[in-house]
Amino acid sequence: MADANEGVRASDVAPRARQWPYWAAVAVAVVGLLVTGVLTWVSAHNYHRNENRLLALRAHDLGSALTSALPGIQTDLASAAALADATGGNVAKFNTFVAPYAGTGRQFVSISLWRLGGPDRTPVAVAGVTPTLPTSSVSTPALFQHAAASGKLTVIGFLTGPIPRIGYAFTGMSKGPFAVYAESVLPPSRYAPPQKGAAFTDLNYALYLGASTNPRNLLIASVRHLPLPGRHATVKVPFGDTVLTTTVAARGTLTGSLPQRLPWAIAIGGVLLTILATALTVRLIERRRATERLAGELEVAADENRRLYAEQRGIAQTLQHALLPASLPQFPGLQISARYEAGAEGVEIGGDWYDVIELGDGRLLLVVGDVSGKGLPAATAMATLRFAIHAYAVEGDDPATFLPKLSGLISVYEDKQLATVLCAVIDPRSRQVTLTSAGHLPPLIIAGAETRFLDTPVGLPVGVDRAAAYASVTVSAPPGATFLAYTDGLVERRGETIEVGLERLRAEVSSNHVPLDQLLGRVLDDLRHDAPDDTAIAGIRWLS
Amino acid sequence: MAELDHDDAGLSFDLSEEHDGTPLVTVEGELDMITAPELDSAVGPILARQPSRLVIDASRLEFADSSAIALLVTWANRVPEIEIRQPPELLRRVIARMGLSDRLQVRP
Repeated sequence: MADANEGVRASDVAPRARQWPYWAAVAVAVVGLLVTGVLTWVSAHNYHRNENRLLALRAHDLGSALTSALPGIQTDLASAAALADATGGNVAKFNTFVAPYAGTGRQFVSISLWRLGGPDRTPVAVAGVTPTLPTSSVSTPALFQHAAASGKLTVIGFLTGPIPRIGYAFTGMSKGPFAVYAESVLPPSRYAPPQKGAAFTDLNYALYLGASTNPRNLLIASVRHLPLPGRHATVKVPFGDTVLTTTVAARGTLTGSLPQRLPWAIAIGGVLLTILATALTVRLIERRRATERLAGELEVAADENRRLYAEQRGIAQTLQHALLPASLPQFPGLQISARYEAGAEGVEIGGDWYDVIELGDGRLLLVVGDVSGKGLPAATAMATLRFAIHAYAVEGDDPATFLPKLSGLISVYEDKQLATVLCAVIDPRSRQVTLTSAGHLPPLIIAGAETRFLDTPVGLPVGVDRAAAYASVTVSAPPGATFLAYTDGLVERRGETIEVGLERLRAEVSSNHVPLDQLLGRVLDDLRHDAPDDTAIAGIRWLS
Repeated sequence: MAELDHDDAGLSFDLSEEHDGTPLVTVEGELDMITAPELDSAVGPILARQPSRLVIDASRLEFADSSAIALLVTWANRVPEIEIRQPPELLRRVIARMGLSDRLQVRP
């Protein structure tokens, strides 16, 4: 009997411990941003390293260019000094020689010839404008002595005046007796925009006299305002007895626009991909949660279904048992037992039944029947037939007499139902068994080591023909014999003939020597697992 | 001719005619209390024409329970002659076991 409480109630299902569901999306976002950051940093780092390298190379190139350009200044002055030495200070020849270089707008604004050890502030000859040297604080004897001693171009920075000038002193290779002194002007604002088409137009530069980049030492710059914008490189080149310090900065990118933009492209692309991946993850998580919710609801619905199923099964069983005999009569010297089992899908009540009726003359009538179909129509027909048989039997009709009358109660043509019925009139004392079958399967008899089906003449099922004739057969049961009648639910299986099921039943019964009640239970347990159809089985055993 | 498939119910059947016009019902699969009513509804109009004979090709029937037998008995009552052609052994045995061999002609 099914237990209506075996279904699990929805409220019994413990709520699952839930984690915050979006941690995976956060992890995706964090990993995506980390990867983007690292890639961006690497590409930016590479870009800057390459830019610095290229800038250093360009600065080096610029230094080389300056180094090769500077001797030009020196050569002119050296040649003039050598000429003066050779001509004994011939002023006319000196003036003629330096004329192309001296004057406003030329390389030097002023070139003058001085005698070493001569008057302090008076040159021998002057080409171009008057030098500012004599009016400066510079000691001319010391200057020319230094120039003679070093043998190099001596550079005097930033002579004061309305327009700043730079002075150059050179004594020539013979070191006397003459020295040449020249002055050049710097651009008024020290600003000299690079000429188009010239080399190094990709660079800004600032040129300082001396080793320091102090703005006071600025000679010339390609920008109006210092410091130079952007990344810097510095190169120093020798210039006479001092150095020129050049600071350069790239005007734009040196490695090209792609490497410059790559870090940005990686950063933007990475962030976009991260957002996309995070959004996708969130969507997947939400979809999974929705699925889980749905599964939960289905589970609750399934639980409810199971509960309803169990309840309905319980109702069906209760009703079925109400339609079956509440108790079986007792006879001295006999064990009588019967069972009913609903089908595996036993939500509906069935049409199988058993009955044991006292006939009043010491005999009993054992009935097992099966109405085709299921549900209320089958159960109603079953109850009708069971109680009708009861009435006819008590009236004294034997089965061959009352079986045709039953076809007046149910009709296969009207109700689409027929019934198979096996009647066994049993005399406990004489052990005579009279069998009458309306389309029913043969009963079994177990006598000692022998178990066999009893050959029974089979008449039409009930409900087919009210004029059907039924033949009976009487057999004698040996002492201690067991008689079993059953319905086809016990032996009928899809995919095999009924003979296979009958043989299975015969083998099962032969191997079980237990009290009758236990025998019926075992037979049902062993042969009926998952059988779809309902089953009735009834048995009688002579104790001696 | 009508053809109806009821694979989900475990039964398919086909309604046709023999050369001589005899209605032929071909059944395949499982004929039981679940599938029998549908087949009965489909065959109803054929029986309403009161044919002199009805042939049921049962060669591909895999299962038949007492509801199937009840259906065949009902049909047998409505036509002068019914022939169950090539029934599988299990149907043959059930018909014999239920004492209906005289009512339901089985060939061969």
